[in-house]
Amino acid sequence: MNDLAIKTVNLTKRYSGLWSKQPVEAVRNLNLEVHRGEIFGFLGPNGAGKTTTIKVLLGIIYPTDGEAYVLGQPAGDPKNHYRISYLPENPYFYDYMTGREILTFYAKLFGIGEPDRSKRVSELLDRVGLSRAADQPLRTYSKGMLQRIGLAQCLINDPELLILDEPTAGLDPIAHIDIRDMILDLRNQGKTLFISSHQLSDVERVCDRVAILNKGVMVQLGRIEELLAGGHVELIADKVPDNAVEPIRQLGGKVSLHDGRLIVEQPDNGSIDRVIDIVRAAGGHIISVKPYRRSLEDLFVETIQGGKDI
Amino acid sequence: MNATFAIAGATFGEAVRKRVLMVILLVALLILLISPAFEPFAGGRGARTLILSFGFGVIQLAGTFIAIIMCTGMIPTEIERRTIYTILSKPVQRYQFVLGKFLGAVSTLGFMYLMMGLVFLMASRLALGEFNPEIIRGLIMFFFQSSLLAAVVLFFSTFVSPLVNYFLSGGVFLLGNLLSSFLATIQRDPEVVPITRIPVQILTIILPNFANFNVQNPIINPEQVITDPTAYMVQTLSYAVVYMALLLVASMLIFNQREM
Repeated sequence: MNDLAIKTVNLTKRYSGLWSKQPVEAVRNLNLEVHRGEIFGFLGPNGAGKTTTIKVLLGIIYPTDGEAYVLGQPAGDPKNHYRISYLPENPYFYDYMTGREILTFYAKLFGIGEPDRSKRVSELLDRVGLSRAADQPLRTYSKGMLQRIGLAQCLINDPELLILDEPTAGLDPIAHIDIRDMILDLRNQGKTLFISSHQLSDVERVCDRVAILNKGVMVQLGRIEELLAGGHVELIADKVPDNAVEPIRQLGGKVSLHDGRLIVEQPDNGSIDRVIDIVRAAGGHIISVKPYRRSLEDLFVETIQGGKDI
Repeated sequence: MNATFAIAGATFGEAVRKRVLMVILLVALLILLISPAFEPFAGGRGARTLILSFGFGVIQLAGTFIAIIMCTGMIPTEIERRTIYTILSKPVQRYQFVLGKFLGAVSTLGFMYLMMGLVFLMASRLALGEFNPEIIRGLIMFFFQSSLLAAVVLFFSTFVSPLVNYFLSGGVFLLGNLLSSFLATIQRDPEVVPITRIPVQILTIILPNFANFNVQNPIINPEQVITDPTAYMVQTLSYAVVYMALLLVASMLIFNQREM
C-alpha cells in the first residue's frame, strides 16, 4: 500500500434520515487506488457521490461499510492531516481577514511557529501571485483571487496529497489557466493530486488517470489515453466514381457517396492509406484527411447517458 | 492548543465585526450612559437602587441577546459556508474546534462586558458620586451567566438548526431563571401533589440555574439577605464553571459523531 496515496475497499456510504424509510446510498462498494505522484481525475454528474467520497477520505463523515486509507493510514486520522490538504468547492474564508492573515490562521492550525510562519506565508502569497493584495481584506478579492488563496492554504503544510474539489469552477479564462498551470507545477514537484471536477477539458489535459462515478458506483476507471482510444479518421474526396465505393467499404469504415463527393470514416487502426490509394487510382481528388480523437466529454456523456440503471 | 487558540481568535474577530452584535452593544452603551437621567423616576426606592437595577437589567438583557445571537449559528454557519472543511482537514481535532469556538464566544462576551462595565461604572459614578464595588461583582456574575448561556447555545448548535436553537436556548434560559423560585413556591404549598412537584424538581436539577446570577434581586429586594456575598459568588461561579465544562464535553461528544 506504500505506493498508494488513496485506497478504498468496498467503500459504501448510506444516509438515513430521521423520518425517511429508505436510506440513500451515496457511494456503493467503491474500490479505488490512487498512486503517489499522479494526478487523478474524479468525475461524475452532480449527486454521483464524489464529494461524499472526499468527505470520507478527510474524516468529515464516516463510511457505512468498507474501508478508506489515505497515505497508508485510515482516513480521517488527524495526525495524517499534516501530510494532506483540501480545497473545497466554492470555499468561504473568514472575509474580514486579509490574505496574509488567513494564511497565518491556517499555518497556526499546523502549529507552524514564527519566524517560519511569516516566511512561509510570504512565499506562498508570492507563489500564487497575491503579494500585492496580501494586506487587503478577503471580501475585496475576486473569485479568482479567492481560489488562489484557497490553493495557497492548501500548500501551507507542503502536503504530499492535495484533494481539490472543482478548483477551476467559475473562473475567468486567465485565472483558469493560472490555476491549471499551478496544478501541473505541483505534479512536477512530485505531489499527488486528487481532483474532482466538471471541467472535463482541464481534466483531460492535466490528469493521468480518471474514474467516473454515477449514482454512487464507479463506472469507468483507467488511464486517459486508454479510455479515449478508439477515435477515427475522416477522409473527404471529390470526383470519386461509383465503382470505387465497394473496395473502400470492404475495408470496414463508414462510407457515403453523393454526386462524386466521398466521405469515409475509418477507425484509427483502419487502413486509411489503402483508402487514399483507391481514391487516387479511381481518379478522385482528396480534399482532406482529419483524425478525430475521442474527447473525455464524449466518454463522459456516453458513460453517463448510455449507462444502465444502476 | 495552538489550533484551539487560532480558532478562538478567528471566532472573536468575526463576532466583533457582526453588525447585529455591535448594534446591541451600542444601544446598551447608550442606555447605560443616559441611565442617571432616570433618577427622578426612582420614587421611594432611591436613586442608587434604580440606577443599579436598571443598569444591571440592561447589561443582562444585552448579554443574553449577544450570547444567543452569536452562538446559534456558530457551528451551522461554518458547515454551510464550508469553512469547517478547510479547518477539519487540517490536523485539528473536533474537540479543539468546539473548544476554540467556545473560547472565542467567551472572549467576545468578555469584551462586550468590559465595554458595558466601563460605561456603567462611569455613569453610576457621575450619578451617585461613589465607586460602587457591587457593580464589579454584578458584572462578573452576569458575565458568567452569559457564558453559561453561550455554552447552552453552543451545545444545541452541535445538533439543531439555528432557528430551533433560538427557541430551545431561549426556553432554557427562561426556565433556568424561573424554575428555582417556582419550585420554592410549590414546595411551600401543601396542596401541590407529587406528580406536579417531581417533574419541576427534576427540571430544576437538570437545567442550569440562571437565577443564581441575578444580582439585582437583593438590590431590589433588600429583605433577601446573603450573609456571605463572597462565598455566594464563589459558589455560583464554580457552579457555572462545572456546568459549562459538562456542556462542553457533551457538545464535543455529539460533534465528534456528527456528519457534515
